[in-house]
Amino acid sequence: MRVAIRMIGLATTFFWIFLIAFFVSAAYSVRDLHFNFEAPQVDMISADKMVVCLPISVANYGFYNVGSFSIETEVDNVDGVMLANGSSFVPVIGKDKTVRFLHNVSLNFTDLLQNGQTYLFNDSEFVVHATVGMALAEVIPVQASTNFSMPWGAPLYNFVLSEVQYEPLNYTHLRITVPISFENHAFFDVVGGVQARMCDGAGEVFGEGSLNVEAYSGSAYQGFLEFYVSVMEVSYSGYFEVYIRTEFFDYGPLVIPYG
Amino acid sequence: MADSKQKLRNFVFKALKATVKGVLFYVAYFIVWSFVSPITQVVPSIQQTVEVFVAVYIVLMIVGEFTSGTIYQHFFGAAKALFVIGYLILSLKGGILEASYQNVNLMVDIRLFLTVAILLSLLGLSKSVLQAINHLNERTEYMQY
Repeated sequence: MRVAIRMIGLATTFFWIFLIAFFVSAAYSVRDLHFNFEAPQVDMISADKMVVCLPISVANYGFYNVGSFSIETEVDNVDGVMLANGSSFVPVIGKDKTVRFLHNVSLNFTDLLQNGQTYLFNDSEFVVHATVGMALAEVIPVQASTNFSMPWGAPLYNFVLSEVQYEPLNYTHLRITVPISFENHAFFDVVGGVQARMCDGAGEVFGEGSLNVEAYSGSAYQGFLEFYVSVMEVSYSGYFEVYIRTEFFDYGPLVIPYG
Repeated sequence: MADSKQKLRNFVFKALKATVKGVLFYVAYFIVWSFVSPITQVVPSIQQTVEVFVAVYIVLMIVGEFTSGTIYQHFFGAAKALFVIGYLILSLKGGILEASYQNVNLMVDIRLFLTVAILLSLLGLSKSVLQAINHLNERTEYMQY
């Protein structure tokens, strides 16, 4: 019986040493795991879809392979509605290996900008939920998650049609000048056209004009919309129907009263 | 007189053995801890948890050593194994460790480690029970002859 007990003792001691050495070396290996996040690239994959690509490289100089490496990102608005998400998965990052991959988050501009005025005209804030998961030594799952807010700059912030100027052109027509101004707080340039229809109180269109706009990211834009209307048809009160077309979004009609 | 001298010699030998065992265990803890100490930056409470574990384990080891040759040695051996099981389950919160560092929430799933550790402790417990049975067997045989 003594021999059997001694063998149990030896086996227990051996497995304890093995377990502690394995666990400590796996934990110590985390120090030799290097992450490198490069500058994100923004690509348009279709007329209304933007993809933010974040190049990530993970260098594993630890004692063991790293398994099931995953990154998940979710972008929500302040009300908690999901706007975009993306996930990346690397099955195994071998010992002494460096893996480079792209983490893509796709954002649909049609959903974001055309279906609501909020993000077009008002600055806001997005909440980004990011989760990084991996299995140390392929057997110890570890997960780190964080939330951070990201400012959203409106491309047409403070979009205003100022006071309409009526200037007689001849006996039958008037030249109408409408000053347009806005600030482009977005990270992209607003390049496209603005079309405005001038309607009287009854909703009848009596004049319309268009203007090409080019507002660079972070700059203010000021322009003038000019068109001619018949003196007989002109109305000094009513509303404008404004249509905005750019490479990223089409929006309209935006109804702005005048007079 | 000779009997009390023998008892003193036994006691000194046990004390010496317990001291050596305790010192060796503490040195092993000290070396292992130096590797995993960076974890304390993320989970500061882990140091206290590990220190309490090491302190209680060393005390049980020393007491077990002092009572060697008696049935109580095996009681303390079993107590040591049960303490390891209980303390690991309670301090490791079922194997899912969670911590927050600045704005980052960290979750480590060490259920596999916990399971293996509990199995090894159960093996240790069974060893203590077998040793106690063997001790009683041997004493009975000694008394018979």
